Amino acid sequence: MRRSIAVLALVGLFGFSCSGAPESAIETVTLASPESPLVALRLMFRTGSIHDPKGKEGLAALTGLMVGEAGTAQRGYSDLIDQLYPMAAAIDVVTDREVTLISGEIHREKLDEYAALLQEVVLEPGFGESDFTRNKEQLKTYLTTTLRASNDELLGLETLQQVLFAGHPYAHAPEGTVAGLDAITLDDVKAFYRDHYTQANLMLGVAGGYPEGFLDSLVSNLSKLPAGVSGTDELPAPPAVDGRDFTIVEKPTGSVGIHFGYPIAINRAHPDYFPLMVANSFLGEHRTFHGRLMQQLRGKRGLNYGDYSYIEFYFAPPFTDTPTPNVPRRQQYFSVWVRPVVPNTAHFALRNAIYEVERLIEQGMTQDEFELTRDYLVNYSKLWAQTLPDRLGFLMDSQFYGTDYFIDEIDQRLKSLTLEEVNAAIANYIQADSFQAVLVTAGAGEVQAYLEADQPSPMPYNAPPEADVAAEDKNIEGLPVNPDSFTIVAVDKMFQGGS
Amino acid sequence: MSKKYSRLTVLGAVLAIMLVAPVAADEIFPYAVHEHELGNGFRVVTVPYDSPGTLSYILIVRTGSREEVEPGHSGFAHFFEHMMFRGTEKYSKDEYNDVVKRMGADTNGFTSDDRTVYYIVGPSAELETMMDIESDRFINLTYTEDDFKREALAVLGEYNKNISSPFLPLFERVRELAFTKHTYGHTTMGYLDDIKAMPSYYEYSLGFFNRFYRPENVILLVVGDADPARVNELAERYYGEWEAGYQAAKIPAEPAQAAPKSSHIDWGGPIAPHLMIGYRTPAFSESTVETATLDIISQLLFSESAPLYKKLVVDEQWVDQLFGSYNDHRDPYLFLVFARLKSADLLPEVEAAMGEAIADLKQNPVDAERLERIKSNLRYTFAMGLDSPQSVALTISNFLVLTGNPQSVNRVYEQYQKVTAEDVQRIVREVFVDSGKSSVTLSFPEPAPAAAGG
Repeated sequence: MRRSIAVLALVGLFGFSCSGAPESAIETVTLASPESPLVALRLMFRTGSIHDPKGKEGLAALTGLMVGEAGTAQRGYSDLIDQLYPMAAAIDVVTDREVTLISGEIHREKLDEYAALLQEVVLEPGFGESDFTRNKEQLKTYLTTTLRASNDELLGLETLQQVLFAGHPYAHAPEGTVAGLDAITLDDVKAFYRDHYTQANLMLGVAGGYPEGFLDSLVSNLSKLPAGVSGTDELPAPPAVDGRDFTIVEKPTGSVGIHFGYPIAINRAHPDYFPLMVANSFLGEHRTFHGRLMQQLRGKRGLNYGDYSYIEFYFAPPFTDTPTPNVPRRQQYFSVWVRPVVPNTAHFALRNAIYEVERLIEQGMTQDEFELTRDYLVNYSKLWAQTLPDRLGFLMDSQFYGTDYFIDEIDQRLKSLTLEEVNAAIANYIQADSFQAVLVTAGAGEVQAYLEADQPSPMPYNAPPEADVAAEDKNIEGLPVNPDSFTIVAVDKMFQGGS
Repeated sequence: MSKKYSRLTVLGAVLAIMLVAPVAADEIFPYAVHEHELGNGFRVVTVPYDSPGTLSYILIVRTGSREEVEPGHSGFAHFFEHMMFRGTEKYSKDEYNDVVKRMGADTNGFTSDDRTVYYIVGPSAELETMMDIESDRFINLTYTEDDFKREALAVLGEYNKNISSPFLPLFERVRELAFTKHTYGHTTMGYLDDIKAMPSYYEYSLGFFNRFYRPENVILLVVGDADPARVNELAERYYGEWEAGYQAAKIPAEPAQAAPKSSHIDWGGPIAPHLMIGYRTPAFSESTVETATLDIISQLLFSESAPLYKKLVVDEQWVDQLFGSYNDHRDPYLFLVFARLKSADLLPEVEAAMGEAIADLKQNPVDAERLERIKSNLRYTFAMGLDSPQSVALTISNFLVLTGNPQSVNRVYEQYQKVTAEDVQRIVREVFVDSGKSSVTLSFPEPAPAAAGG
């Protein structure tokens, strides 16, 4: 029996529209909820790290911070904070590969004050030297301390993207490279702002209990941005993945993080996205116990904390339970994330993850598995958009991809799916013979040696596994990894950039 | 300026606390709270909230790593949270997962010093299913010794995922320094050696369940599209037979700290230097002004609007992350300060600036306008935070853990109203003293200069 959450068609409870307001090139997305005491404002500029000039990687992100986390022509950054503080308001900035989001939420009692500050920030950035130094250092410290030295999981997740998109505009982190940031001048930031913060690049989202006339006034004010040119830069195809290539990031650490994946040809705009979404949920739904990877690696074998798979970029997976909106990308990738394992189980864990992907390819899903997973996703996806900013964000992403509201589309598309369509999507889009793998570990040479030797790697249990698990282990422990190539990178060379 | 997770404040996210610090007129919590108690002491709290078709179903066990009084058992409450997902005779682990999946619900658990919390966010039409599967595992949990040993490996995996962050060792060390007797001396995650020894504690785990997973020590909180009468009726049916028998742990009191303590951690690779400081504080209280005042002091000293933040982060740029917070706990705990420095040689300047900011608050009463701005910030933070059934539920659950009384949210609010400049001055003088201070630094040791000659 299918159960459903009554908030079906969540957006249907609100008046929403997507349009270009008259006399402005700004695209608007609104989600009116007159009873709500809150208003969410989201400015998504189609400018991201794909627009960083070569040798100045990080320019889009630094410009984003110089807009949202810096002084304006009228006031210093400290004064801006002082103005926002009593309203408990913030201006958040996230630069991803294709877009930069400047956003905030405000109690409607304070909407006018807040909107005035947000407009000031976007229209009249101050470009002060001191803010420039601070924000540049903040980005560099993210690369050198947070990624290299403080979080092996983020390190592996970012490295996989860089390997998958080598030579492509997606190849560097949105935060840039150390050398790229060093090369950026304040004039570069000013020029980047002038060229990219335009009406044509802006999608404006407003949701919640805002008064009549608010949107028009906001659009009118933001239309002081240069008109700009509409149209989107073409992206080259991602590099082909041929065989199983391993990148080992060597650093002093007590565990081994494992990631592998490959670019896929579709995103949310493609009808095959939805059957693939069901297959992926079955294999490895993020932060749940429902995926096979989680059940097999953690549940039955206790290998680690979690094991998941993805068919698109997922923002900050160590810190989020459900998808974060407003990081849309035209090109996506399939990936498997095996959270850190102890070194003596790493070989087995890698084999077990590959085994599960191969199993999905060979066996597909059964009718029962399909129905359970489909029904689950129809309801579970409703929980991704419980708050006003999330609903607005997903609505804006749908506009980006040129689709209906994502959460409603999941509902509609999944309800008419068939098992055959899901198994066809598995056959068309899931592969295990070719991928890029990233391992974050100490002793890279030793890891390379055992992967090359490809000898059986029995799982060192501390308690005998159940009989069916023990039997399956026989197939996993000797599964050929068949690596085609290895690249070992010292962690302090990661994100360095330059020649 | 981000209050939520952003890429650039990954470390800060770990320290971020949910400030429930209301300062509006009348009762700050805008929703009706319905309470009911079963004969066995099990309490049921329902908060109807306008989320058509959805509710949050939360079981709060008022036991966390605070109860880990036996030596060698640090991390056990958290480990036990994992075991709660291992199944019963009625619903095996896999069957439990299937039921949750069929509902399309989001479910998980988390553990901290004073609590272990299990939640389901899902369709309100499934309320009875939630009652069934949750009461079943709380009353009838069963697992084999082999299950137990395998789950210990998953906990080790969780430790491994956390230990690549400098926060875990900093937290471990600052607690070790600050507490010599009380169980707050260890983290909820527990020590690596204790985690490695967990597989041998099967018998102990059965006793743990027997002592703490009892109706008098657990509260059910339902927030969302739910009728209180129906919740109470189902709770009577599903939890009514649960046998009472809670045995409170005897938590050792921590003696007063006599002198400042400090320690250093060498990191394995290049890293921006970190500083963490803990100042001993009183326990959470809704009946005195201390808790509310310490929350306001955290804003006065360490929020983005604080002069210290402006000096260290915006103007001098010696520090790129700065946080400081009072942390609600059942027993006296710590006001924690964290700074990430640009370089190790700036440490004396950073510590001096912190010392000056504290001295300033001790000597000069805070002006009324600044106090009002902080109260305004706290009021809006609270109001804007109640934006989903789960956020309302987590807010109320915090007070259920601390006092057992959901109305504490309003009582604390009343205390905020009372906080005066004199309270601030008095409490800064009491809390921010060298004799109550434990500080830990973490950095990459610079390679020694090459020896001359040779």
